[in-house]
Amino acid sequence: MAAYVAKKRGILFPLALASILFVTLFPIYWIIVTALKPSIENISPVPFLLPHNATLANFAALLSGGYLRNLLNSVFVTGASTLLSLVLALLAAYALCRYRFPFRLNQAFLIWIILAKMLPPVVLAVPIYEVFMKAKFLNSLWGLVLVYQVYTLPYCIWMLFGFVKSLPLEYEEAAEIDGASPLQVLGRIVLPLVRTGIVATAIFTVIVAWDEFLFAVLFIRSPELLTLPLVIVNFIGEFETLWGQLMAVGLLAALPVLLFSRIVYRHMSTAYALGLK
Amino acid sequence: MKRFLIVTLLVLTAFSVFAQAAKKPVKLVIAGRDGDYGNAMQVAVDAYTAAHPEVSIELLKLSGDDIYQKSVIDLRSGTGSYDLILIDDPKSLQFQKAGWLADLGDYYKKAGKQADPDFIQSLVNLCRYPNQPSGKLYGLPFVGNVSLFAYRADLYKKYSLPEPKTWTDVLVAAKKISENESGVSGVTFRGVKGNPIVTAFLPVFWAFGGELIDAKGQPSVNSPEGIKALSYFLELAKYAPKGVSMNNTAQVRDGLLAGTAAIAPEVWPAWLGSMDDPTKSKVAGNVRVMKHPGEVTKSAPMIGIWHIAMPAASKNKDAAFDFLVYVTGKEAQKLMAIQTGLPPSRSSVYDDADVLKLRPWYPAVRDALVNGKARPRTMVWGEIENVLGDYLQMALIGDLKPDAALNEANAKLVQVLK
Amino acid sequence: MIRETRMKGKALFFWAILSPALALMVWLTAYPMLSVAVTSLQNYNYMTDTRSWVGLGNYGDILGDRLFLQSFRNTLVFCLGTTLVEVFLGIVLALVFYGDFRGKRTFMILAIFPMMLSTMVVCAVWKTLFHYDIGLLNYTLQSLGLERFGWLIDKNKALSSLALVDIWQWTPFSFIVIQAGLASVPAEIFEASLIDGASSRQRVFRITLPILRDQILLLALLRTIDTFKVFAKVYALTGGGPGNATETTSLFIYREAFSYFKFGRSSAASMITLAAVVLMSAFYLRKILKEE
Repeated sequence: MAAYVAKKRGILFPLALASILFVTLFPIYWIIVTALKPSIENISPVPFLLPHNATLANFAALLSGGYLRNLLNSVFVTGASTLLSLVLALLAAYALCRYRFPFRLNQAFLIWIILAKMLPPVVLAVPIYEVFMKAKFLNSLWGLVLVYQVYTLPYCIWMLFGFVKSLPLEYEEAAEIDGASPLQVLGRIVLPLVRTGIVATAIFTVIVAWDEFLFAVLFIRSPELLTLPLVIVNFIGEFETLWGQLMAVGLLAALPVLLFSRIVYRHMSTAYALGLK
Repeated sequence: MKRFLIVTLLVLTAFSVFAQAAKKPVKLVIAGRDGDYGNAMQVAVDAYTAAHPEVSIELLKLSGDDIYQKSVIDLRSGTGSYDLILIDDPKSLQFQKAGWLADLGDYYKKAGKQADPDFIQSLVNLCRYPNQPSGKLYGLPFVGNVSLFAYRADLYKKYSLPEPKTWTDVLVAAKKISENESGVSGVTFRGVKGNPIVTAFLPVFWAFGGELIDAKGQPSVNSPEGIKALSYFLELAKYAPKGVSMNNTAQVRDGLLAGTAAIAPEVWPAWLGSMDDPTKSKVAGNVRVMKHPGEVTKSAPMIGIWHIAMPAASKNKDAAFDFLVYVTGKEAQKLMAIQTGLPPSRSSVYDDADVLKLRPWYPAVRDALVNGKARPRTMVWGEIENVLGDYLQMALIGDLKPDAALNEANAKLVQVLK
Repeated sequence: MIRETRMKGKALFFWAILSPALALMVWLTAYPMLSVAVTSLQNYNYMTDTRSWVGLGNYGDILGDRLFLQSFRNTLVFCLGTTLVEVFLGIVLALVFYGDFRGKRTFMILAIFPMMLSTMVVCAVWKTLFHYDIGLLNYTLQSLGLERFGWLIDKNKALSSLALVDIWQWTPFSFIVIQAGLASVPAEIFEASLIDGASSRQRVFRITLPILRDQILLLALLRTIDTFKVFAKVYALTGGGPGNATETTSLFIYREAFSYFKFGRSSAASMITLAAVVLMSAFYLRKILKEE
C-alpha cells in the first residue's frame, strides 16, 4: 500500500502492475492465440503458446459472414437502453433524494426495484412475455430496449441515488434563491455535478445490455433482428465448437465496448482534472 | 459525447424503420436448428425459394434448448408465429398430446398424396401418435440421425485387435491400447451431467438388455441388466482421459480428431465429414465408423431424429405443407446429403450412387438407423434425462457404486413418473 | 401564499420526474412479480396448462429436495466467496493504483477488459484452460514438476474454479467503482492526515474506508445480487457437476421452468431464493437507506 497517497512509489509498484496485468490479460492472450490458430492446432493435446501457422481465416470468415447487421442491432439496443435508463434514473434519483413522497414511497420504490433485480430472470421471462405479447412488443428491438430496463433501471437508479445523495445542497439552494426553476436546477447544477457518476454507471449498463442473452433469445424471432450474443452462441454447436471463430467473434464483439469505455475514461479523467468532482 | 450518442440513436432508428423491406405474398417462418442442421436446411430453403419465387422463407437457426423453449411458449400462446417447427424426437409426445400440431394426414388427403413408404419406417413411426403405422401423422423426419461407434483402425491393426462385435471386445481393446500406446486414451465419451452422459450410456445400457421404462410403465433402470451395464461402463471409463466427467461433444470430437483417443463409443454423423479431412484431423483416413457393438442383445444405437411439424396455429398451412413435403422429399434429402452431409431420412437416398461416392460411410449410418432404438415416449423425458444423468455422473466420479446409483435414480424416477 | 404555490409546484415537479421510471417499473414488473408469488402456491404445469392450488406444498417439496438444498448451499458459498474477494480486491487495487502514474489510462482500459468480453467466450476460454488432460494450466503445472489439478473435475475444487472465473471477470468492476469513489474524495483530506502523522493503516481504516462506506456497501449489494443468480458460468463450464458440486439455485430454477415447464415449482424456488437474498442484503439495505 506504499503507493497510496504518498508521491513516491516503491519498486514493488511496477511488479504489482505487471502481475495484475499478467493475470488479467493471459486468458485474453489465449483468446487471441486461439483465434489465430488453424483448427487443427486448437485440438493439439500439448498446448502451445504461439500459433505455428498463424492465420486470419477465422476473422475473414466472420467478416464475410454478414454479422454487421447483428452488430448494429446490438449497438442500437445497448445504446438506447443505456440512454433510457440513465435519463429515467437520473430524474427518479433526484426526485427520491430531494423530495419526501407520501406513504414512504421513497424507500418502497427503491426496495421494490431491487427486489425485481433479485428475482432470477428465468421466472420473470414468461409473465413479461405475456405482457409484451399483448402490447405487441415481441420481436422488436424496441421491445428489447424496454425489457432490459428490468436489469438496468434498478441498477442506474441505485447508483445515481448514491451520487446525488452525496452532493452538497448549497449549490442548489443558491440557484433557487437566484430564481432558477427546479428543472433549471436539475439541468444546470445537478447534471454537471453528477456527470462522472453518470458515466461510471453507464459502463456497467452498457456491458449488461451488450451481453444479455435470455430475454433476447425469447423475445426476438426474426434473423435480421438478432443481437450479437445470439450469434456468438451459434459457434458453440451441438456437434462441434468452432474454437477459432468463437474466439475471434468474442474479440471483435468486445471492441465497441472497449472503445466506449475509452471515451468514458478519458471523459472521467478530464472531469476530475477540472475539479468537477 | 451525449450528442454523439443521440446522433447514433437517430441514425439507428431510421435504419430500423426502413429495414422492413418489401414483402412477398407468402412468408413462411421456420423454427429450425443451428449448426449442421441449419446449414443443410438453408440449402433446401434456397433451392425451394429459387423454384417458388412467390414464397419467402425465414429460417431461424436455434440451439436445441432454445428451439424447445421458444416453440413451447409460442405454441402454448397460440400466436402462430411459426409455420413449421423442428422437434427433437423424445420431446415429440408433449407436442402431439397437447394438440398443438396439425394432422398431416388431412393435408396429404387434400393434396391427393400419401406419406410414401420410402422414409425409414422406424423414423416415421416416431412422428405418429400413437407411435405405430396407424397413428395420426404429426410430422415428417427431417434427418436420419443416429449415434455411431468410431474406432481407430490403424491402432486396432497395430495391436491385432479384431473388429469389435461386443462391448466386451471393446473393453479389451481399450485396455490394450491404453496400456501400450503412449499419449492415447483407450476411449473417450461425454461425461457432462444430463443429456450428454445419458446419450453416451444408452447404447451400452440397451445392449446389455436394460430398459428405462418397463412394459408396465414403471422405471426399471436398476434392473440387474442395467446395473451390469453401468458396471461395465465404469470399467470402460478407466481407460478414458481423467477429465472425462467434463467432456462434452466438443472435447470428444477434438480428442478423436487429435488422435488422443482410440475409441469413441458415441459419435454423430455430422462429424464424419471432418474425420477424413487432413486440415481438421491428425488421423485422417484412420477412423472407422460402424453401428454399436451388441452384448446381451444386438446392437442398439440411439436414434436422435429431429422431425418437422406444422403448428395448428400456423396461418400458412398449405404453403408450409408444400415446403414440408419438399424438404423431406427425395430431391431435397439428396441435395442436402451431397452438399452438407446431412444423414437422410429416406432409404432411397442411402442407395443413391452420387451420394455414396461422396459419403462412403452412409451404409454404416443406415445400418445403425435400421437397428436403432428410440428413447421411450414420455411426457417427462427432460426430467428422466436429468435424474438419470445426475446419478450416472455420480457413479462416474466414484461417489456412488453402480447399484446404489441406479437404485437411487430409480426411486427418484418413480416420483417423476407418478 | 406564494410559498404554498411554490411548494405545490415543486411537489408536482418531483412527481413528474419520478413518474416515468415509476410507471415503467410498475408496467414491467408488477404483474410478473405478483404472478411469481401467486404461482408459487399453485401446481402449475405450463405445458399442459393445468393449475391447482397447493398452498405451501411447493415450498415443502423444494425445501425437502436434496438437490435444491445442495444447490442452495453451493450458491451461498459461491455468492459470499466471490463477493468478498471481489470487493476486497477491488479496494486493494484501487488503493494501490490511486493517483496518477505513467500509462494509467492504458492500464485502466486493459485492467477492465475481462468484464467487456462476452460471457460465452469467457466460459469457453476458461473451459479450455481448465481442461484436465490438455488444458494449458495443467500443462504448465506438469512442466514445473507439479501435480495436475482437477480444476473442474474434482468435486472439492470445481466450485472454487467457477468462483475464480467470476472473480477474474468482475473484480475489475469493483476496482473501477471504488476507484471512482476514491477519486471523488478531495486529496486534501488525505494530505491533512499525512501531516497529522497517521500511519498508512490508520489512514485506510479511519479515513478512507469510512468515507467510501456507501460505495462499498452498494458494490457489495450489487455483487451479492448478481453472484447469487450465477447461471451462465455453471451452465457452460460444468453443467452442475461433478456430481452436484456446482449445482446452483438458478440452474435448478432454470430446469424447473424451462426444461420441465413446472412454473409452480420454479416460482416457489425463486421465492425462497429471493427471501435468502433479501436476508443477506438486509444488512446493506438498512445501512444505505437508514438516513432517509
